[in-house]
Amino acid sequence: MRRILLIAKRDYLMSIRNKTFIISLIMAPVLFGGGFLGIALMKAKPDIADRHVAILDHTGQVAALIIQAAQEKNTKELFNKKTGKQEAPRYFFETVAADAPSPDAQRLLLSDRVRRGELFAFLEIGANALHPGEEVEGQDPASREKAAARRVAFYSNSSTLGDVRYWLADAADTGLRRARLLQIGVDQKHFRDLLGSIPVEPMSLVVKDEETGKIGAAVKKNEAADFGVPFTVMALLGMIVMMGASPMLSSVAEDKGNRVFEMLLGSATPFELMMGKVLAAMGRSITSSIFYVAGGTFVLYGLAIGGLVPLSLYPWFYIYLLADLLLLCALAAALGAACGSPQDAQHLAIILIAPVLIPYFLFMPVMIQPNGGMATALSLFPLFTPMLMLLRQALPQGVPAWQPWVGLAGTLATTLALTWAAARIFRVAILLQGKTPKAADLVRWAVRG
Amino acid sequence: MTDSANAAEISRITKTFGTTAAVDGLSLTVPAGSVYGFIGPNGSGKTTTMRMITGIFYPDSGDIRVFGRPVSGARSDSVAYLPEERGLFRKMEVQALLEFHGELRSGRSVTAEVQAWLERLGLGHCAKQKVETLSKGMSQKVQFIATVVPEPKLLILDEPFTGLDPVSADQIREAVFDLRRRGATVILSTHDMTIAETMCDYICMIFRGKKVLDGTLAEIQQQYGNDTIRVAVDGGAIPPLPGVEMVRDLGQIQELRMSRGCDPQEVLRALVAHGRVNSFSVMKPSLHDIFIRIAGPAAEEVKVA
Repeated sequence: MRRILLIAKRDYLMSIRNKTFIISLIMAPVLFGGGFLGIALMKAKPDIADRHVAILDHTGQVAALIIQAAQEKNTKELFNKKTGKQEAPRYFFETVAADAPSPDAQRLLLSDRVRRGELFAFLEIGANALHPGEEVEGQDPASREKAAARRVAFYSNSSTLGDVRYWLADAADTGLRRARLLQIGVDQKHFRDLLGSIPVEPMSLVVKDEETGKIGAAVKKNEAADFGVPFTVMALLGMIVMMGASPMLSSVAEDKGNRVFEMLLGSATPFELMMGKVLAAMGRSITSSIFYVAGGTFVLYGLAIGGLVPLSLYPWFYIYLLADLLLLCALAAALGAACGSPQDAQHLAIILIAPVLIPYFLFMPVMIQPNGGMATALSLFPLFTPMLMLLRQALPQGVPAWQPWVGLAGTLATTLALTWAAARIFRVAILLQGKTPKAADLVRWAVRG
Repeated sequence: MTDSANAAEISRITKTFGTTAAVDGLSLTVPAGSVYGFIGPNGSGKTTTMRMITGIFYPDSGDIRVFGRPVSGARSDSVAYLPEERGLFRKMEVQALLEFHGELRSGRSVTAEVQAWLERLGLGHCAKQKVETLSKGMSQKVQFIATVVPEPKLLILDEPFTGLDPVSADQIREAVFDLRRRGATVILSTHDMTIAETMCDYICMIFRGKKVLDGTLAEIQQQYGNDTIRVAVDGGAIPPLPGVEMVRDLGQIQELRMSRGCDPQEVLRALVAHGRVNSFSVMKPSLHDIFIRIAGPAAEEVKVA
């Protein structure tokens, strides 16, 4: 144990005194949170270029109503009420009569105008869009024509993910509903009542104070916090783990390349060497975590929103962090020892990143149905437990009490097994020079030692 | 640590990598307090044997005892190993690095010993320098200090003189003898036959994983008898002579190997007939010559002593 601690102390001090540690401390959150930063920047600088839209109305009745609905909406959203600054594009509409020799020729004409930049897009209101009736099935020309007649089509050069289509869909829907109401003789003054939508607000559950017996009031839930807190907690865990494991892989590969290990093996066993390096990497990550967790908590309480992160989450965060760190750092040591060159370290990094990267791809489905079968199974998969179980625990509905413990048991068992296998790979591979082992070699070393 | 007359006892050890037997049924005994030299061509199994004595490799079969105790996975602070390759943390300062290595092996502070060794090997001025700024020879000396601080009872040195200039080589040689005088046993490997002849009390030659020679230099040479003639003769290249198996041109002199039963006087007469003989001596074969006889073409990399 003495030798493990001495190796860990040397590696730890060398790594945190390195300026790359300070840089990574600052840059890691920027890289991991880059997407959100991008969204924030785009919100701060919205695209407010004018949008010219043509409406090709085969009904001959609804274009004006759609334009009216769109302009009402546009007027409401155009300027920020507090700052008076324009924050949405201004829409301009023109109505195009359906009078071309053929619908296709007219669509081509309008498409060319979009290509030339005269129009941003055009809407085509099908002849039966006002009363679409039953859905039309079949792929024959007649069926396709019928289907086209009962829809509103949006033609544009922009991506299908662009927000203009959604914006216009809302206006077109309102315009069509108003046209239907007018047809049955409803006065325009009733439109607001009939068509106004009522928001459904998310509220917290009501609780009773155990001491006073007083029933507390429900509070409106913050959707951003409901999403942001669990995601941030999960992302923070993944980021801190990678800050320890990723440099570990390249550090072991570099030390192997510099033939440092043979000298050390005269004084320490391979296991002592590996565990010393693993502890140093864990120490580096825990140092980073203190910086982020303490800093984050300080900011949250400073903004009087400290309650967003339940205190019960902190111990679990650190339990999962330690387990995940041990698991991935041991894996990094084994992979680093197996490297025959620095390029190998780059290639093998994907194996190390996978247990952190995959939960990033899975977090949204897990958040939408956190207690569904798939979310439960994924969060009980030992390699994903630290991130996905923590994510589920951070959600307001929480998880059944047994699940974190079962997940933790699985993770610890996997960590012990992987550390044991990693030590065997490390022992064999660490003195192997000039050869890049294959996956089969790694498995053989892990099994036979 | 039990008292033992032998520092290391190796019994029929075998180590195989893949399908290659690096060490094959090797047995030897290293007497305590001696300087024991391994010679042999590259890839013959010297380093593998040293790693097994240190405990870095485990033999597939056979038994190794160091000071009477079986070698286990755990490291002992009484055994120190200097690998052939330079392998030091390049970003560390020399003093800090040596203290780290010393403390790693002994578990105590070795600051004073490190300073003394740095001064002794002429590296006192480098104590605060980073290892990456040192020359190859200086790095080799730093690595040597990292091995001998604190003083081990068994010192295993793999090619310790590689890359050293004559002055530095003499400093290391003196240090090794000094450690031996203070009771340490030294096992070293070398390709330099002069070093083996002059430094080692016992010499063991390993060839293709097997021991082919073992004993003192005198004992080894005795096996071959006085079958070598060194001669300086005028008159150009020496022609084939009766009873002479091989002629080796060493530059200023030629070395002749006689076949069994050959009379040196007959050789002398033949040489006189060829040209003026300036010197003529009958002797035992050098270690270099013995090496060449055993290893043959496989020993191409051997240094000329």
